[in-house]
Amino acid sequence: MSGMVVGGWGYVWTAYALTAGALLIYGVTLITRLREEASRSKMEAKRQ
Amino acid sequence: MDYGNNRFPRTPYILIAIGVALFLTGSYFGLFVAPPERYMGEVQRIMYVHVPTAWNALLAITFALVCAIIFLFKGEFKWDARLEASIEVGCLLAFLLCCQGAIWAKPTWGVWWDWDPRLTTTAVLLFAFLGILTLRKFVDDPVKRGVWSSVATIIAYVDVPIVYFSVRWWNSLHQLQSSPETVSSQFYIPLRVNAFAILFLMTGFIMLRARLASLRLAQEVAPPPMLAEEVGETA
Amino acid sequence: MIGALRKELLLQWRTRTQFMAVFIFGATALLLFSFGVGPNAEILRQFSAGFLWLGLLLSSTLTLAESFHSEMENRALEGLLLLPADPRALYYGKALANWIQLTLLGWALVPVMVVLYDAGTNRLPSLLLIIALGAAGLSAPGTLYGAMTAQIRAKQTLLPLLLFPLIVPALLSSVKATSLVILGDPMHALGSWLMLLGAFDAIYWALCGLLYGRVVED
Repeated sequence: MSGMVVGGWGYVWTAYALTAGALLIYGVTLITRLREEASRSKMEAKRQ
Repeated sequence: MDYGNNRFPRTPYILIAIGVALFLTGSYFGLFVAPPERYMGEVQRIMYVHVPTAWNALLAITFALVCAIIFLFKGEFKWDARLEASIEVGCLLAFLLCCQGAIWAKPTWGVWWDWDPRLTTTAVLLFAFLGILTLRKFVDDPVKRGVWSSVATIIAYVDVPIVYFSVRWWNSLHQLQSSPETVSSQFYIPLRVNAFAILFLMTGFIMLRARLASLRLAQEVAPPPMLAEEVGETA
Repeated sequence: MIGALRKELLLQWRTRTQFMAVFIFGATALLLFSFGVGPNAEILRQFSAGFLWLGLLLSSTLTLAESFHSEMENRALEGLLLLPADPRALYYGKALANWIQLTLLGWALVPVMVVLYDAGTNRLPSLLLIIALGAAGLSAPGTLYGAMTAQIRAKQTLLPLLLFPLIVPALLSSVKATSLVILGDPMHALGSWLMLLGAFDAIYWALCGLLYGRVVED
């Protein structure tokens, strides 16, 4: 391990993009799922 | 029955917004402001997102343990919803942690997977909790589902330190502890900002996910409308 | 607890064909592992400990999943819970019976391993002890999860899914200790691996007994 690891920006960008992307996708799917469920439970309540 | 916190419906969204802002700031500092580290060079920048993810994953799983214990003692379903939420978000973070760890290991050690104790423990933890999430899908009775997943959560949580020490012992050959001796604020700012960013994001996600779980549970417990009508007619 | 254990052992004795079937399954697995490596005697000997434990682990899911079979028939578990017996006694009876069965299975697989992989050892008592300790590590959480998964559909899938990540430390230390016994132990590290295995056993035998009552109650 002598000297500095040179370069590696590709790895850095991959790591950040992966993290941001996964969190974003999770957030979006979470909100969609929640909306669906909320509208469904409202429908049920109306029907009753 | 109280199916979770509905008094402040906007809180999770505000938390997520703060988290996004902090994450952008912290990543900006980590990617462009902080200087390359002396040994690791640019690759060091992965740590500014890797270490906060690790802290928060541990936090999410610990919160799951707390929920499990409270559910076992009190039997309130809002804790079951929170348990499900924190396990799912914890699994997401643990999955990210494994990916980031592999990306870090490739330029550093030349292999994607180094059997580093922390990384290996994270993988074991991920699979253990994915198993619990799967178990939840297969149990129809809400009470049994809550109790069993709480029990499994406690058992899996106890396993984490044992796995860590056994893997460390097992793979004691190349212990390359990356302890940064360069204690400079330029290294700490992105680390801390991102730690809070992911904390806010995680808290918001867990709250939303718990709300979703509560809604689903409420639907499950409520009798289907057809049945309710029939019962009403015969009564 | 003694009563529960006697009931379990009697039941196992009556279904000993099942034990034979699981043993044959384990031996077949050991045979198949060598096809995964190829006919290289040296490498096979190196990996023999790992193969033995993986074979035992795969077979154990069969015995553990089956161990609550009779309780599920005719809803006998509910009947047992109505008895004035502590559920903990029922758990330890079941877990002990599973332990004995798995230990016997492991011991029975040793000759197969020796023949197939040329993995002989002159420290047989240590090997048998390791197998007993490792089987204890499998049976404590395995019995608890067996009680859960026996009550749901898709039990054959879920039991390994829950059990395998959990028993990583037990598997790791058993494999390490076994290979030290087979391949020689120049650093005298066997004791510390046995300690780790024993600690795992102690923690899970205590914890699972504590939590079992909540799993089977209604």
